[in-house]
Amino acid sequence: MEATTHSIGADAALLRPIQKTTWRFWAFSSVLVGIWLWGMYAWRTQLGSGLDVTGLNVPVYWGLYITNFVFFIGISHAGTLISAILRLCNAEWRRPITRAAEVITVLVLFFGAGCVILDLGRPDRVLNVILHPNFRSPLVWDVCSISVYLTGSTIYLYLPLIPDIAILRDNTDRWHRLYRVLALGWKGTESQQRILNRCIAVMAVAVIPIAVSVHTVVSWVFGMTVQPMWHSTIFGPYFVVGAIFSGIAAILIAMAVVRKVYHLEPYLKPIHFSNLGLLLMVMALLWFYFTFAEFLTTYYGSDPSHMAVFSSKVTGKYAPQFWTMVATCLVIPLGFLANRRTGSKVWGCVVAAVSVEVGMWLERYLIVIPSLSNPRLPRADVSYHASWVEWSLMASFVAFFVFLYGVFTKFFPIVSIWEVREGREHALSQVIERVKRVLPGLPEAGQR
Amino acid sequence: MARWGMVIDLDRCTACQACVVACKVENNIPPTGADVAGRGRSISWMRLARNVSEHGEGAAPQWIPLPCMHCENPPCVKVCPATATMIDKEGLVAQVYPRCIGCRYCTTACPYTVRYFNWKKYDWPFPMEQSLNPDVSIRPKGVVEKCTFCHHRLQLAKDRARAESRLLAEGDYVPACVQTCPSGAMVFGDLDDRRSEVSRLAESPRAFRLMEELGTKPKVIYLSKGE
Amino acid sequence: MTVTRRRFIGLGLGAAGGAVLGIQGGRILSELGVSMQLPPRVPGGPEKHILSVCRLCPGGCGIRARCIANRAVKLEGNPLHPINAGRLCPKGQAGLQSLYHPDRIQSPLRRVGPRGAIGSFTPTSWEEALQQITVRLGLLRNQHRPETLVLVRGTSRGLGARLATRFMRAFGSPNDVSLYRGDEAASQALELTQGLRTMPVYDLQSAEYVLSFGGALLEAWDSPVYAMRAYGEFRQGNPGRRGKLVQVEPRQSATAVMADEWIAVRPGTEGIMAMGVAAALVAEELYDKEFVLRRTHQFEDYRDTQGNLQPGFRTLLERDFGLERVSAETGVSVNRILSLAREFAAARPSIAIGPRRGPLLPGRLFEHLAAHLLNALVGNLDGPGGVLVPEPVPQLPWPEMPADPVAQAGLARPPLVGAAGNGLAPVRSDVESLAEAILAKSPYGVEALFVLDSDPAFVSMAPALFTSALEHVPLVVSFATHPDDTALLADWILPQSHPFEAWDLDTTPPGVPFPLVSLAKPVLPLPQYDTRSAAQIFLELAKRLGGETAAAFPWPDVDTLIRAEVRGLYGARRGAVIGTSFDEAWVRMMERAGWWAPGYRSEDELWQRVEETGGWWDPFYDHWNWGRVLQTGSGKFEFRPKELAELAVDRWMKPLGFEKKTATDSRSESHLALLLFEPLAIAGGLGAQLPFLQEILDPGYEERWESWVELHPETAESLGVVNRSWVRVVSPHGSVRVRAQVSHRVVPGVAAIPLGLGQRGGGRWAEGIGANPLRLLSPIREPLSGLPDPGATWVRVVVDGTTSTATSTAVEAEKS
Ligand SMILES: Nc1nc2c(c(=O)[nH]1)N[C@H]1C(S)=C(S)[C@@H](COP(=O)(O)OP(=O)(O)OC[C@H]3O[C@@H](n4cnc5c(=O)[nH]c(N)nc54)[C@H](O)[C@@H]3O)O[C@H]1N2
Ligand SMILES: Nc1nc2c(c(=O)[nH]1)N[C@H]1C(S)=C(S)[C@@H](COP(=O)(O)OP(=O)(O)OC[C@H]3O[C@@H](n4cnc5c(=O)[nH]c(N)nc54)[C@H](O)[C@@H]3O)O[C@H]1N2
Ligand code: SF4
Ligand code: SF4
Ligand code: SF4
Ligand code: SF4
Ligand code: SF4
Ligand SMILES: [Mo]
Repeated sequence: MEATTHSIGADAALLRPIQKTTWRFWAFSSVLVGIWLWGMYAWRTQLGSGLDVTGLNVPVYWGLYITNFVFFIGISHAGTLISAILRLCNAEWRRPITRAAEVITVLVLFFGAGCVILDLGRPDRVLNVILHPNFRSPLVWDVCSISVYLTGSTIYLYLPLIPDIAILRDNTDRWHRLYRVLALGWKGTESQQRILNRCIAVMAVAVIPIAVSVHTVVSWVFGMTVQPMWHSTIFGPYFVVGAIFSGIAAILIAMAVVRKVYHLEPYLKPIHFSNLGLLLMVMALLWFYFTFAEFLTTYYGSDPSHMAVFSSKVTGKYAPQFWTMVATCLVIPLGFLANRRTGSKVWGCVVAAVSVEVGMWLERYLIVIPSLSNPRLPRADVSYHASWVEWSLMASFVAFFVFLYGVFTKFFPIVSIWEVREGREHALSQVIERVKRVLPGLPEAGQR
Repeated sequence: MARWGMVIDLDRCTACQACVVACKVENNIPPTGADVAGRGRSISWMRLARNVSEHGEGAAPQWIPLPCMHCENPPCVKVCPATATMIDKEGLVAQVYPRCIGCRYCTTACPYTVRYFNWKKYDWPFPMEQSLNPDVSIRPKGVVEKCTFCHHRLQLAKDRARAESRLLAEGDYVPACVQTCPSGAMVFGDLDDRRSEVSRLAESPRAFRLMEELGTKPKVIYLSKGE
Repeated sequence: MTVTRRRFIGLGLGAAGGAVLGIQGGRILSELGVSMQLPPRVPGGPEKHILSVCRLCPGGCGIRARCIANRAVKLEGNPLHPINAGRLCPKGQAGLQSLYHPDRIQSPLRRVGPRGAIGSFTPTSWEEALQQITVRLGLLRNQHRPETLVLVRGTSRGLGARLATRFMRAFGSPNDVSLYRGDEAASQALELTQGLRTMPVYDLQSAEYVLSFGGALLEAWDSPVYAMRAYGEFRQGNPGRRGKLVQVEPRQSATAVMADEWIAVRPGTEGIMAMGVAAALVAEELYDKEFVLRRTHQFEDYRDTQGNLQPGFRTLLERDFGLERVSAETGVSVNRILSLAREFAAARPSIAIGPRRGPLLPGRLFEHLAAHLLNALVGNLDGPGGVLVPEPVPQLPWPEMPADPVAQAGLARPPLVGAAGNGLAPVRSDVESLAEAILAKSPYGVEALFVLDSDPAFVSMAPALFTSALEHVPLVVSFATHPDDTALLADWILPQSHPFEAWDLDTTPPGVPFPLVSLAKPVLPLPQYDTRSAAQIFLELAKRLGGETAAAFPWPDVDTLIRAEVRGLYGARRGAVIGTSFDEAWVRMMERAGWWAPGYRSEDELWQRVEETGGWWDPFYDHWNWGRVLQTGSGKFEFRPKELAELAVDRWMKPLGFEKKTATDSRSESHLALLLFEPLAIAGGLGAQLPFLQEILDPGYEERWESWVELHPETAESLGVVNRSWVRVVSPHGSVRVRAQVSHRVVPGVAAIPLGLGQRGGGRWAEGIGANPLRLLSPIREPLSGLPDPGATWVRVVVDGTTSTATSTAVEAEKS
């Protein structure tokens, strides 16, 4: 047993990215780090001059940073939540994709939280939230739920990593000490495995409500105010749906890249993509349902202050973005995914996913800015145009996220080796068991 | 305990904006310029809200002096993560500058849009700093500020009353905007004191509060035009 | 090794720790040198309150300056002061920005470079400056040409202005010219009907109904705070009764917005509208027959001095002002005119107000006259809630000037302005005629020109004309506190101290019925810079000139003069220091009986009390004193149908009523009637210089820092102009680039532009901001009054294609 646990055998391909790094990786990383450094310069500028260097104004007090905050936190639902659900459902096809998804969560959460720091007028005083917390503030709820989520997701990423780290410990020379420490003395004994599986299962259960709570609370940052088109009971589920939506799209993109770059075609098959694609399609419809419900309710209520925001989105100043959002979140993904010819292809799913990311970013933007631009007491028509500092910081966050993701793949297998193997070895019989248990007319094994 | 409140009689108000300027001078608002204005960044704790009526052509515009409402159920206070804005013991919605982290959640949550942010460090070109009011702190970069109901004047009035060993009387504590209003449109005082002019005016059939339906319970009460 | 529970917890803590560290990172970073600067502390110190007078406009408000450690930190109204009772307008509130303006002139300046730029000046000493100027002036006297010295004055009533006037007389020049105050036509209306050249005063506070023909009561009105206080009382100050305000004008001014009704008439037809209301009053027999019979003249047909029968006012109305015709002309329905007349007659006391004061509408005699006649028709003269005539301040006459042949000869020369005789007293406030005379060098050339308390190169009706006139004057001396447009054109700038840095005496402002003297004290212990008060400067100049000129100024210093003036009040044996509370009936009875109990028993005590309270006044107005308020030949109120008919001819205009004049204005290419308005915050020359006033430019719009032109949506559409786009407003005299503001607040066919922006100087907040529409005006004069009539300017509005993102518009004059 031990020998097989620690050797890699058929899955050597999964270790190759760790063992061998091409010049392309370095080149690409340099570009990403360059963008990041540029962003840090922009940040330096902002710290020196204050938020004066942004395009924000009265009354558009929030802009790109908060948009990105919501967007990133949304993406973070990719990993943990989706992987947890799939795990709990025993969806066997999940095995090669969970890791790629979970990493997104952990990394992107930092950037989400980072966006809030960027947005602060006084980042040096951020600890005041802990020193003088006001527990009635949804932002404090956010701080709590995001920290818990971050902790949970990190554990949830780490636990299934342990056997793989042990494999790395036993099969590679580099970073030996790191792997030894992180492997926590994993030997793959049956009792260890049992504990690990139990822990993973517990975490999977725990992490789902946390994840749901996170984006609910993010939505409440808006929903708990009385501002037009923010103050809505639908916001919690709406945001969660949007988060899962953009999260799935993020997984699809990440998978496609990893597959291509590390030649993981045997692991990440078109079926994985089209399965996720189906999920994405379901979410697109759900998202549309929520959006439609939200807008229709607003329209019928026709409260003037809400209508001002409504019409600025649907027919006014923000109409181009709004209709692009509808196209990219609904029309394009449906077009590609509902069509068998494209929906079953990797590229088809990726196109849909990219489109959804664009659309969901716009959706976040359109939640933040139009409501602020149309306060109940009208003000002079000052438009918000993000400044170079804001765009630079956004680019640097995306770049650095991609960079860190790449770095992760250089340290740890992006497809879970042991889970794939476990699937290969045990899943078939387990599935047969399950099917027998749930369907009549089959001989039942292992009755309890 | 007094419940400080303000009445603004729109039938007297001439939209002269003396209140706007008085507030700026009293509360050390920096002089800026076309550039800051063009970017929509001006700070004006008191401003004239312009509500061009949507019904029909030529309908008279409405101009309403708009300070902080010092809501009794203030949406801004609820959302502040760092307790940097709160209802102080005098019932005023106060702002603790050294604590504010500048998240601007309060500014987005206030339905009256009367909160302002310090986008940068502002300067008073020499010798304009001479006219700074020593009773009001200068706000650093990155924090939010708003109308305080001139609470420093309450402090001074109390000190004065104590020095004269008497109780605070009506008219001892008057904010800068109220003091200057040429048409006498603004009145300030204790809404709970039955004998005060504010409480009498607040009972007027012309009295209304802005966006009453939001449940913010403003302590600024308007009197509508007309008989 | 197994994963134990303890490890698990440890892991969790580790992750949490990591998260906290992430947050700590921000702290660490901020401590690494990017930390935020702490704000400066404002030093405290001993507190003082100093009473003075505002003087940033002619309003005459009393102020109470709060000073900490000898710094003025806040201006409030003097609560005892009868004009403002503790209140201040926005300009007064922003006053300290003027006192502490970073661009103030700090010492005498001599011009060494070309005219027009602050860089052309070099600092000099008072000694040097006064010496050189005295030499030049002495030369003029020696050459027996004292009349070639000209003084251009603003609206101030201070000792500086009074001493400057006396200086001109002592020196021997009749050319003491002031800017249009805007009250000229209103005063002429009173001159014609009541025989007094004085500004009428409206007792708003006690009126029931105000019918205003373009009188911007709530904007830059006479004494703005006094007017706004009265308005507050008019609306809600009298329990159980609320005054009603109806505003008749082509642009919905801030006053019209506050009014109960805005009646939009075609531009230039307010007078016709007033005559229409009068016709309705007479036709429906709603006028005060008793009053008309007993106190008026020329209502019915009358015989003139030659004994010929002349048509009376009634005949004129019936003949020329049929309601159908008035309605067609003004665009107001006959029914509305009738109902207005009924309301006006029913709600007594009701006041009609002309398009006053229209600083830039110094003409409009017809409108003022027509409005004023309405007051006579309802008998609302000199009573509470009616039209009053201000009582003069009892002042000790200044000592006679010694006989001086040079001066007498100079004074006998024809003045450069105001010589025209048209039956009315000459108008001396005419800088435009002055500029023309200077350019024409007729009847004589101008050798020296003083500019005091004014900025005519910016605020006069012909800025370009005035600017070029200055080029023909060899010696131009400005007494400006700030580098205003005129100062930049001077040879010498002798900076007077800021009004808040000097001792002065102020008297009754316009629009106020009672006599008032306010003491202005410096709010700072010493002037901030090397400046002197205007009063000091003129005393000094006279002394240096020596001879009879010096002898005309017997006061050793300003202080002595001020005390002498206050002493004069004691001699008047009436009135009281302000803030005294009295029982009016009782005091009146005592006064009639020859008793006078003012609360002070000696001149010294009066002085002391004036210092304590801020001034002196005589609050009681003697109503219905017909001998005082009706000084016409007939001793009655005269309806003046003859003059009215003559003026009306000029106002029957088609279309829009400008036909007649436009012949001279090349009508073919002009389409819109130009209408200028004066926002309260930046009225006059001072205002735009102060950032807090720029920020509140106009109540109708949020902060602008630029000029705009208001166009009716229909007008804009027909011109292809979209809201907020740049346009060029072009008249035959110049053009300005401004932003279009499409608005229902103007009638079609009008282009309305705010005044006050477009300075060339004025310091960092004014320079280059907006455009000065005065450059567009046509120099056309009204018949009879002889006053310029800016209402006669036609403009074109064209889309400005140039894509400029600049927020400010440069002042441009295509032609001058
Ligand atoms: N704060 C402050 N107050 C001041 C002054 C100051 O400097 N500062 N200055 C004082 C002085 S000196 C003066 S003269 C007054 C000026 O006070 P106002 O006479 O009130 O001056 P404007 O505001 O120009 O008023 C002119 C009005 O006439 C309108 N108008 C223009 N053309 C026409 C027309 O053809 N027909 C009619 N009916 N209306 C027309 C304009 O739209 C405007 O509403 O203000 C005095 N008050
Ligand atoms: N652009 C523009 N032009 C205008 C007008 C306008 O509103 N805008 N208004 C027009 C009208 S109605 C008028 S009356 C004229 C007014 O124009 P001016 O007569 O030039 O008067 P202002 O510009 O109001 O102010 C005169 C200056 O004198 C100072 N001053 C006043 N009193 C005293 C005093 O007692 N002592 C000292 N030392 N200084 C004093 C003030 O601070 C101010 O700087 O302008 C006319 N032209
Ligand atoms: S000062 Fe008084 S009259 Fe003027 S705008 Fe303010 S409330 Fe209205
Ligand atoms: S008006 Fe706005 S800032 Fe003021 S207390 Fe209410 S919610 Fe807060
Ligand atoms: S900006 Fe300051 S006062 Fe406002 S919510 Fe944030 S911490 Fe509180
Ligand atoms: S109460 Fe004081 S702080 Fe508030 S608007 Fe008035 S002057 Fe400003
Ligand atoms: S009305 Fe004139 S005098 Fe009175 S405060 Fe305003 S600027 Fe000063
Ligand atoms: Mo004037």
